[in-house]
Amino acid sequence: MKPTIVKREPVVDEALDQCEARLTEEQIEKVVNEVIDKETGGRLWTYVNTCIHCGLCAEACHWFLSNDRDVSYAPVTKVKDTIWVLLEKKGKVDGAFIKRCSEIAHTECNLCRRCGMYCPFGIDIAYMLLVVRRICAKLGMVPLYLQDTVHSHAATMNQMWVKPDEWIDTLQWQEEEGQGFVPSARLPLEKEGADIMYSVIGPEPKFLAQLLGNITVIMKVAGLDWTMPATAGWDNSNMAMYSGDFEIMARVERLHHETAQRLKVKRIVMGECGHAFRGAEYDGPTWMGWMKPPIPIVHAISFYYDLIKSGKIKIAKKAKGPITVQDPCNVVRNGGLGDKLRYIMNAVCEDFVDVTPNNRYNYCCNAGGGVINVGPPWKKKRVQGNRIKAEQFKRTGAHTIVTPCHNCHSGIEDIVDFYKLGMHVKFFSDILIEAMEIPEHLKPKEE
Amino acid sequence: MYEFVSGPLVWVAFIIFIGGSLYRIYNMLSKSKKENVVFPHMSLKHSLASLVHWVIPFNNQYMRKRPIFTIISFAFHICLIIAPIFLLAHVILWDESWNMSWWTIPEAVTDWMTIIVIIGCIFYLHRRLTDPVVKNVTDGSDYLLLAITALPFITGFIAYHQLFAYKTILIIHILAGEIMLIAIPFTRLSHMLFFVFTRAYFGSEQGHVKNSKDW
Amino acid sequence: MSNIESWDWESKEKMLADTAEWKDRFEDVWEPYISSDGEKIASIIKIGEGEFNICVNGNTWEEPFEKMWYSRFSPDGRLTALISKDAEWTMAVDGVALEETYEYIWDTKFSADGKTIVAIVKQDGVYGMLVNGKVWECPVKLESIASHAISPDGNTVAAIAQTVPLGQADLDGFLKGTWSVVVNGKPWNDNFVGIYGLAISNDGKKVAAEYRAAICEYGIVVNGNPWIEKFGCTWEPVFHPDKSDEIIVPVRQAGQWFLAKNGRIVWDKGFFSLLYQTYSPDGNNIAVAVAPQFGKWTVAVNGQPWSVTFGECVQKPCFSPDGRKVAVIAKDSGKWLLVVDGAVLGEGYDNIWQPVFSPDGDKVICKVEKNGKYAVAVNGEIRGKNYEALWNPVISPDGTRAMICGVESGRYYRKVVSLSNI
Repeated sequence: MKPTIVKREPVVDEALDQCEARLTEEQIEKVVNEVIDKETGGRLWTYVNTCIHCGLCAEACHWFLSNDRDVSYAPVTKVKDTIWVLLEKKGKVDGAFIKRCSEIAHTECNLCRRCGMYCPFGIDIAYMLLVVRRICAKLGMVPLYLQDTVHSHAATMNQMWVKPDEWIDTLQWQEEEGQGFVPSARLPLEKEGADIMYSVIGPEPKFLAQLLGNITVIMKVAGLDWTMPATAGWDNSNMAMYSGDFEIMARVERLHHETAQRLKVKRIVMGECGHAFRGAEYDGPTWMGWMKPPIPIVHAISFYYDLIKSGKIKIAKKAKGPITVQDPCNVVRNGGLGDKLRYIMNAVCEDFVDVTPNNRYNYCCNAGGGVINVGPPWKKKRVQGNRIKAEQFKRTGAHTIVTPCHNCHSGIEDIVDFYKLGMHVKFFSDILIEAMEIPEHLKPKEE
Repeated sequence: MYEFVSGPLVWVAFIIFIGGSLYRIYNMLSKSKKENVVFPHMSLKHSLASLVHWVIPFNNQYMRKRPIFTIISFAFHICLIIAPIFLLAHVILWDESWNMSWWTIPEAVTDWMTIIVIIGCIFYLHRRLTDPVVKNVTDGSDYLLLAITALPFITGFIAYHQLFAYKTILIIHILAGEIMLIAIPFTRLSHMLFFVFTRAYFGSEQGHVKNSKDW
Repeated sequence: MSNIESWDWESKEKMLADTAEWKDRFEDVWEPYISSDGEKIASIIKIGEGEFNICVNGNTWEEPFEKMWYSRFSPDGRLTALISKDAEWTMAVDGVALEETYEYIWDTKFSADGKTIVAIVKQDGVYGMLVNGKVWECPVKLESIASHAISPDGNTVAAIAQTVPLGQADLDGFLKGTWSVVVNGKPWNDNFVGIYGLAISNDGKKVAAEYRAAICEYGIVVNGNPWIEKFGCTWEPVFHPDKSDEIIVPVRQAGQWFLAKNGRIVWDKGFFSLLYQTYSPDGNNIAVAVAPQFGKWTVAVNGQPWSVTFGECVQKPCFSPDGRKVAVIAKDSGKWLLVVDGAVLGEGYDNIWQPVFSPDGDKVICKVEKNGKYAVAVNGEIRGKNYEALWNPVISPDGTRAMICGVESGRYYRKVVSLSNI
């Protein structure tokens, strides 16, 4: 098979360059075969032996579509240029090849699984690229900022190097912020036996603390018995899952789920994040041997759906003007929450304008799968690699895009900025907090 | 020569095809069992749901988006499987050797079906040569597989119409059919065996584990 | 449990506080905690804007604080809380705030006898351990403390701490090692990529932890000396109850989990998952939670798994005092179950708390939750009343009685019942 013609603007990622210089071919061969022999099995073998090289997956990929149908971005090409070669050469490849594997698997694929849905045989291409990431991670070939984030998970059990005191302090501060809306609101820490443990991702206390204030108000208005841990285990996010460092992934997920068990809650409700749902609901438990999380985990979309549908939260004034939505891959295509998302959008928006394609067919935001976490060096390629997303939003004519996922939120902010869409990007809870009714008895007293 | 290819070689081809297929499926299942999570994630309901949406034409979003491909693909695969099984000449052979016979399709129809398979092969060849994505992942083996698939039908067509040296073409036709049978389990033509399983797994993972759908 | 002999095991029933009435007295009343002897119940209360206090059996501390949280009783019955005044934080014990204040304070823990109270503090960006009111002196400036442990006698306090500063996105620096263990203020000589699962031997002489050597390389380090053996992954080590030179730990090799003792794999059987290794009180038997296959959980005692498996999870096993029986809480089909020696006792519940055995091992007692109410279950069957709030039952030292503390209609009761009657 002729090599793929790849045209890219050069990107300097120190970590990849240094790793390439350091790796020996013996190391590479050993790790490749270790991963393929001991960590894969029927799936990889069958996928590779079944793929008829039909190229139908290309049409699914936002990278391919946004880059003027550049062949090198097609899902099947990404497989051809990585795992096919690793299997064929039985790991006898050089450092430059592994570096290219990391570029493809870590920076040019979001593991969004849209291509799996477009393969006539249901070959899970994203799974194969995750195997490639695993090989890269074991060899230390991970883009700088993604690896740094994984180190943060490893050291602090959260994504953003948040220290234990900063976490608690932020919660106590946001409790006070929430009390500005509802004076009797409380953010209960370490309350054993509460109904709900609320967990978030690292960037919330670090950059988006107002979301913690929002939830303090929402929980009070809905009258729910909830708690948050004052220990590590509060972060449900997991970039180790995406670098391919599954041991750290499992350690983070285990702590998260055991924290919920320690607090004796009935369910974990998580904030608006997609990959965190994937990690906490699926990848983490699977690695641990749990068929599903010991304490069920409920994504914010389902949670708000229940609150609005049951009338625990009433909508006082719907948000005005055309508002559209981003379906996060990990909770919609790979989580089945698309219809609930539409229900809550219609409930809080006067004029909800849907995207096309929508629901589980939606295009990825291009930030997920750890791709935004590979950091600034790769940003230009990332936003250019999702032109179709910008075009899709433009067609809606909306003034605001709701993104019930942190990666989507950041990725779409970049796209809005780059393509000058002039749209706002908001979390659902930002819209809800404005739209919901705060009962009289909970409102601050006029002095 | 004719006796040899239409006698012992048929035996060999069928034994390798059936035995090889069973072996490959067994191999796939045992590798999947070793992987621990595969079977616990599977569900019959979601496996069937996925298959229903992918073996019926236009029953999923992607097929509707690509009508020409869908029509040609379905026509090709249906004719490829149905024509040889229900061809009068084949059934007569079974009847002569084994005293087994079954319903047959009128010869004019199987003739058209053969043409459809050949058109399908030309269509796939054209894609391999012109579609940049497909071209980029195509190598000699892909052309070889296409040839293995096309040859029994081309030679069958020629033989039926007795266009050239009938006896020689017939021998080539039988040989080509045998090569294809032998190739199925051991080449990527094995998608004929495996696609049921890959679909079932992806359908289960999307439906049973992830509460979504894969069509 | 400190001084358990001297607790009141005679009074059949004491109504110690009417917590319902607290809700009328104060603006907000938080969830209550009780002392280990059950004699006191306390809740943090809000009395006004930026004014908190704590209510113990109906009485408040003299001085209110700007903020309060994490009220916990020490095993010897002292009530602690983390408090803030003049925007500085410290600990208050029985209403008296320590003189020293800090930027922040959290994670209070106690020695088994309650004599030693520790918490993590941060001052001027430096982290430290506050031990009985004094921050330990550490020659290294600690950049963070992830967690800590305390020996039963309180003489050994160990912390997982970041001992080396790390710049932003400094991958090499991280892999050179920035974490270590600090024992009573003295850091181990070496730094590691990561330290997890801190454990102290019962005699307080040894401190063990998991360490990370490289991206996918883990081992155990004891008193600063790493085991030679390295593994694909490990979980937290556990010391033998009497022998501080014996450590068991789950280790991962070639995609399977094994139990290792002092670096050597003890059972030849590997599992999909292996967690929560537990010694019997005499140290002769070991029970672990295992998944022989993906999604099927059970307990293995001395390497032999029970034949019954559970679909969702099992928690940490617990031995009867004589070490012959093993109880565990398991989850299957959405219900929590009490399992003893492989047999499910009673029905499923919405929640089950860690069980306790009677001295002869005949009875297993635990707190259970059903339909939002709590009750005491004996061998899995609910006995007696439902409570709005309930604490884990405690068995008397002579093994004849159980103390049950709970709230009914807002009133807090401490009851002592004969084990033969429940």
